[in-house]
Amino acid sequence: MPTRTQVPQKGVTSTVRRDQARRLRPWALGLVALLAALGLQGQLYSGQERTVATIFMFVALAEAWNLIGGFAGYASFGQVVFFGVGGYFTAVAMSHWHFSFWVSLLLSGVIAALFATLIGIPLLRLKGHYFAIATLGVAEGMREVVTNMTDLTGGGAGITVPTVGNNATTAYLGNDGFYLLFLGLAALSVLIAGLVARNKFGYALRAINQDEDAAAALGINTTRTKVLAFALSGFITGLVGASYAFQQVTIFPERLFDVDITVLMIIMVVIGGSGTVLGPLLGAVALQFLSEFLRQNFTNLHTFILGAIIIVAVILLPQGAVNYVREARRTKEYSLLANVRKYRL
Amino acid sequence: MSAVPVLETRGLGRRFGGLQAVSDVSFSVPQGQVLGVIGPNGAGKSTFINLVSGHIKPTEGRVLIDGKDLTGARAWVIAQAGVARTFQIVKPFRGMSVRENVAVGILYGSNGTNVMSKALRAADEVLEEVGLAGLGDRPPGELSVADARRLEFAKALALRPRLLLLDEVMAGLRHTEIEPSLELIRTLKARGITIIVVEHVMKAILAVSDQVLVLHQGKVLTSGDPREVLSDPRVIEAYLGHRYVKRREGDS
Repeated sequence: MPTRTQVPQKGVTSTVRRDQARRLRPWALGLVALLAALGLQGQLYSGQERTVATIFMFVALAEAWNLIGGFAGYASFGQVVFFGVGGYFTAVAMSHWHFSFWVSLLLSGVIAALFATLIGIPLLRLKGHYFAIATLGVAEGMREVVTNMTDLTGGGAGITVPTVGNNATTAYLGNDGFYLLFLGLAALSVLIAGLVARNKFGYALRAINQDEDAAAALGINTTRTKVLAFALSGFITGLVGASYAFQQVTIFPERLFDVDITVLMIIMVVIGGSGTVLGPLLGAVALQFLSEFLRQNFTNLHTFILGAIIIVAVILLPQGAVNYVREARRTKEYSLLANVRKYRL
Repeated sequence: MSAVPVLETRGLGRRFGGLQAVSDVSFSVPQGQVLGVIGPNGAGKSTFINLVSGHIKPTEGRVLIDGKDLTGARAWVIAQAGVARTFQIVKPFRGMSVRENVAVGILYGSNGTNVMSKALRAADEVLEEVGLAGLGDRPPGELSVADARRLEFAKALALRPRLLLLDEVMAGLRHTEIEPSLELIRTLKARGITIIVVEHVMKAILAVSDQVLVLHQGKVLTSGDPREVLSDPRVIEAYLGHRYVKRREGDS
């Protein structure tokens, strides 16, 4: 345990100015990253453009999972259900009801948020493993429901969004359009996470994450706060699912409710640093980039190598890259072995 | 000040399955008084605090705060009604600095704010009040036992409460560390805050309490003036056993 040392008081005005600079820096960096992503688009082949669009998609998904799983500490193992609900709503609305994509997109987000509220009210009473299992159950169950609603969803045969001819309500966006759409969703999710992290709501979520009794003792309406975080997380995930459905044109329940998508979100958040804004972003970019690189260069072994890298990363940096760097900079202890020891149970 | 007591309990009780942890506790604390609650281990002191703060729902009786019936209300409702508490086992929010820990209470208290920078500044004032000035940037995990208890105190004060429930804030402290805590309780009392102190340190209870309530096996054994209560043979018996009292009577 370190001994107490009195930090000399610095000038008040310089502290304020430094605080302001420190607060503005992440926004400036975000803007630069956004402009870089826009500039990058012109340099990419269409295949690369699709790959990068998928990276953006996972940035948005990871940031969304982080709101409930990272900030609030409620690890949702059924997060893909919002992706599926959003995707299916858009596909059904566009093909059966002739809604335009943009209207469907917005409604998909709202419906996913309502669905999250509905299941969140009973499920967020559960903690830890129980919450994880219950959400997993909801996602698996929803897949079966969608598979069996054949009239509306086409069941296991899938449903096709009309993108050409007279039935098309919104012209297919193409590689360029989806690149921008997923970039927009990624930017929106990072913006939301950034706002949440800095305001009252984010502090309440972090307090709940640590100790719900203590959070309630400070006047935090824990139920409302958790449900709100879940709904916000569902909203973003629903938007992403809707966009994915339009991009894929034909969608199937196995893909839209695939548990692998949830697992990827969780791994990205955990590797990058859960409960931070930057962590899920870096985790999604790193993992998706690595996965694509390995697929192209080690076709047969790529999942094996990726799995090994994830295991090593989790052992060495159990708190995630961003949290590790923050702690290391504060304590000046950069050794990975010391870090492993610190987090060993 | 109004004649309505800040806290009144009527026949308050809680049963856990076959165990009656607290039963039939009826009393009231007028504004600005310090009530000491004592009793041997397992007497129901912490359960009593949890019943008042809303962390445990009573199975019998009523809890009135400022005359308002808040029986069975959620903990956050009671907190926003002006009742703050500390926890016997400290519950800091790890991953936040000491300053941010306190700021959370300021953000969500009864006259809370939505402005983070304002809350952080107010948090520094509270930290200074409890003797944690200069430690705001630290993570709570680096605090000493005494400072961790002070942080618990500071988080409760951040709510600017009318009623403060202190569940063993002095446990595990050295004698020299107890005095500042007592001084703080006196200061808060002078400000008109009503305080309930659950404590094992008898010297501390005697030093600050206006009234003492003795719990034994979940029931009120006796209550009243601190010195009288502490010399009551029934209280001594509850703590030290029947034979000790007999032997003492034999001596005198």
